[in-house]
Order: sequence, then structure tokens, then C-alpha cells
Amino acid sequence: MIFIAIILGCVIGALIGVNMPMISYSYSGYLAIAIIAALDSVFGGISATLNKNFDLKIFVTGFFGNAILSILLTYLGQKLNVDIYLAAIVVFVGRMFNNLAIIRRYYIEKFSKNKPKDDKVEGNNTEKN
Amino acid sequence: MKKKQIAITLGIMCFLLTIALCVQIKTMNSANSTVSQSLADNELRDEVLRMKEKYDNAYRDLANAQKELEKVRQEATQNDSTAEAKEQALRENNMILGRTDVQGEGVEVILEDAASTSSSLNASDQIIHFSDIQLVVNELANAGAEAIEINGQRLVNTSSITCEGNIIRINGERIGTPFYIRAIGSQSRLYGALTRAGSILDAIAYYGNRAEVTKVDNIVISRYSGTLNYEYLKEDK
Repeated sequence: MIFIAIILGCVIGALIGVNMPMISYSYSGYLAIAIIAALDSVFGGISATLNKNFDLKIFVTGFFGNAILSILLTYLGQKLNVDIYLAAIVVFVGRMFNNLAIIRRYYIEKFSKNKPKDDKVEGNNTEKN
Repeated sequence: MKKKQIAITLGIMCFLLTIALCVQIKTMNSANSTVSQSLADNELRDEVLRMKEKYDNAYRDLANAQKELEKVRQEATQNDSTAEAKEQALRENNMILGRTDVQGEGVEVILEDAASTSSSLNASDQIIHFSDIQLVVNELANAGAEAIEINGQRLVNTSSITCEGNIIRINGERIGTPFYIRAIGSQSRLYGALTRAGSILDAIAYYGNRAEVTKVDNIVISRYSGTLNYEYLKEDK
């Protein structure tokens, strides 16, 4: 159900995104960091769903909040001549790997034992969204 | 129906995310730039290597063809006494045109950008411009230089010295500082023209640029590396 929704969203998004106008090159750096933040939120959401501790408010605010905050931080970094976006990328990608590890462990346990044991899902870090 | 709500939210988020991703990818594609600087550098390096190999091959072909031509010419003139005089004239003309390596007495001028301790605050005063090179070449030609070479580029009839932003192009080849300008001709006249009071070298050296001239007894100037192509030129009878 959830994965069908995700795939459907991705396909429709791709179809619309291909026909969208391009943005100016100078803004693409901000969009890139927002994409990384949003990607992190989505993976966080998926792993939280598998852990059964999904919270819609945290997810939605995390999705938009992280994206906007990372854009603002990148902008600030450009004004200060510090590559703050690198720190944001390290944090987001690190969390993305954590969440991917949680998802992976969940499915490995599910398929290897042929019975889901939701409580035994372990990740090094139980990030919510 | 909490699960449905979760699914719809995740779907919408993924929808937004893919739109952003597609826009970003499209923008980056049209900007023709890679995210990774090193990747772009590597591609450029590959391209340079490929072009260099092509150039080397073409150059080798040219050298072979020239050798062949020489051989054919020699064979043709071997048993003919009148053709020998022609061969002599041809060789001389080729030398004057810049098609053969030449040697003789002359001078060598070294022009180099100023060190950071220059007395001028204007960055433009601290570098050698193409016009400086042109002036030096003019001075040398005026003093009777018979062959001039700049950083390995022989000046021939079709040579040009142009400014292309931060590099100087001679005969279509890029050259950079320091510039070694070698000229074959009367040593004393060439040297005198460049060292007289108020000479062009004084003007160049005024703000700390290096501008030196030395007499050299035996200068070897290599041949023009390009081809001399005359397509529209015809003799007027």
C-alpha cells in the first residue's frame, strides 16, 4: 500500500517534472540541498513506518522544515563564505544511510525468517523521520 | 484509516521530491556541468590527451611526407646540372620562408612578468602584453633580423601575435610567460637597437617586468611548424 503510493507519486512526479521549466543555474545549488533534505525525510518516513512509530506531523514538518532550513543555511554559508551545505550533506546523507540500513534489516529479517518481527528491527540510530 | 493517510502523505512527498529532482537534473544537464569537479576535469584531460595524440599523428605524417618530398626532389635533380641550381634556389627560398631550421649569430630577449614586489599597484603594468612582444619584434625586424622565433614559434609571412584574454597566441599556438625571443642577424645592430637609451626594453622593465637581452653566438631557430598555404595568391603578369 505505502510502496504503491510511493511509486505512484514518483512516476507522476517524474512525468510532471520532465515537462517543468528549468530554474536558473544559480538557484540549482539551493534546490539540490533541498532535494537531499527531502530525500532524507522520505527515507526517514519509510523506516519510521516500518518501525510503526510514524508521526504525520513530525514527517510533514520535517520534510518542509529541513528543506527550507537547509536552503537558508546554504544561503547563509554563501554570505559568510563558508561551505555550510557540506555539513548539511554529511548529516543528511549519514542519516539516509542509517534509515536505509534500518529498512534493509527489516526486510532481511522478514524474508529470512518468513515471518515479520517488527520489534526486532534494529538500527544503530532510531531517528524519527 | 491511518495507514491510508500515511500512504497518501508519503506519495505526495515523493511526488514533490521527484518533481524537484527532475527539474534539478534538467537544469544541470542544460548547464552542461557535472556536479563533481574532478569528473569534469578528468573528461577534459581525456579530451586533451586524445587531441594531442591526433596532433602527434598528423605531425608525424607531415614529417614523413616532407622527407618523401625531399627524397623525390633529390632523385629528380640527381642527373641534371641545371636542376641543381634550381634545387639550390629552392633550398634558399625555403630557408627564407621559414621551412627549414636555421642558425647564426644573434640575440636572445627574455621577457617575463614582474615578481610580486613590483613598484606598480596596477596589475596590468606587471605583466607582459602582446603589444610588448610586437614592439620588440618590430624593433628586431627594423634592426635587420633575418629570422625571429618566440618560444619556439618561428615568425613567418603569415604569423600573427594576438591577445586572447590571459594568453598570447602566436601562429595559432598559445604561449605564456616567460617569453624567449630569439633573432638571427647582426649581433651588434640587434643588441644596439634594444639597449639604446629609451628603448622598448626600458619601457617594459620600468614597472619591474624582466626584460633582458643577451648576445648569443650561435642561435638555432627551428622551422615553422605549420603549413604555408596560399590559395588565392596568383602571380601578376
